[in-house]
Amino acid sequence: MSECDEVLARLFLRRPLDAGAAAHLSACPRCSSEQRHVRRVAEALASHDVPPPASTLSARVLGAAAPLLARHARRAAWRTLARALAAALVPLPLIVFLDFYLVRAMYGVLEALLPRALSLYVVFNYAATLTLLLALTYGMIPIVAERQMRLRREESRA
Amino acid sequence: MATDEDLIGAVATGDGRALEELCRRYERGLHQFIFRHTGGRDVDDLYQETWLRVVRAARRFDRRRRFSTWLFQIAVNLCRDWHRRRPPEPVDPADIEATREGTAAAADAALDARRLLAALPEPQRSAVILRYYHDLGEEEMAEVLGCPRGTVKSRLHHAMARLTQMARQ
Repeated sequence: MSECDEVLARLFLRRPLDAGAAAHLSACPRCSSEQRHVRRVAEALASHDVPPPASTLSARVLGAAAPLLARHARRAAWRTLARALAAALVPLPLIVFLDFYLVRAMYGVLEALLPRALSLYVVFNYAATLTLLLALTYGMIPIVAERQMRLRREESRA
Repeated sequence: MATDEDLIGAVATGDGRALEELCRRYERGLHQFIFRHTGGRDVDDLYQETWLRVVRAARRFDRRRRFSTWLFQIAVNLCRDWHRRRPPEPVDPADIEATREGTAAAADAALDARRLLAALPEPQRSAVILRYYHDLGEEEMAEVLGCPRGTVKSRLHHAMARLTQMARQ
């Protein structure tokens, strides 16, 4: 870009001229003759006022976007739930395996101390309690995931 | 305060309040851009369509980019499409002026600026509006307009030459 172009561009954008540019403007015959027209254009553009947007415009946009947002929310909820379930299912085989061995070891100890029927009853109760706890834990996953998503949303809004 | 990029991330999860905040932040700038680009025609429709496209594509938004650049890129594309299939009826200045406040002299000047902008080919008009009214740098303009920096410079140069030529006549 030539010096003339730079000086005229500054005039066009209504930027202040430094000493060098001002000197060029007064010395250069092309820029001297052009500057009046460039300034006129710049002033005309600067005076281009735009009416403010209608007060109902944002509400109109939000209304039109509501179905799309609802779809995003549904997808996000499913994605979060799927991720949470996947993460929770990873250690499940290990938990079941450990529980199985724990119950079996308990049964071995109890069988040596108590009658067989009573040992079976205690171990069955224990296994049932473990299963119930596991089911409750996994049943809570959707609720916890939804709560976390809501908290994250509130955090990002803040 | 949440950044624009955080907010668009929230919009991707269906957060209506995040969209409301983004609309509030960009309402005036985006509205002015579209108004100047189309000469005041179909502004509300284009404005709404810009936001709908933003919402639709929110999940694909690259968080490393600036939201404002992406938003104006969408608006430029929509305005470009609008110019391609522009409705034939001419601009009625009375319609536009009816919504305006201000003196008659200011109205004349605005009409003149509209004529100047309308005389530019669409790529040059986009460049002038982004540079002159939105004060975007060449790098950001290149990203919004989807062209190299050199092309932005040349568009601005040609636009200025054309406008100066009009002022001479």
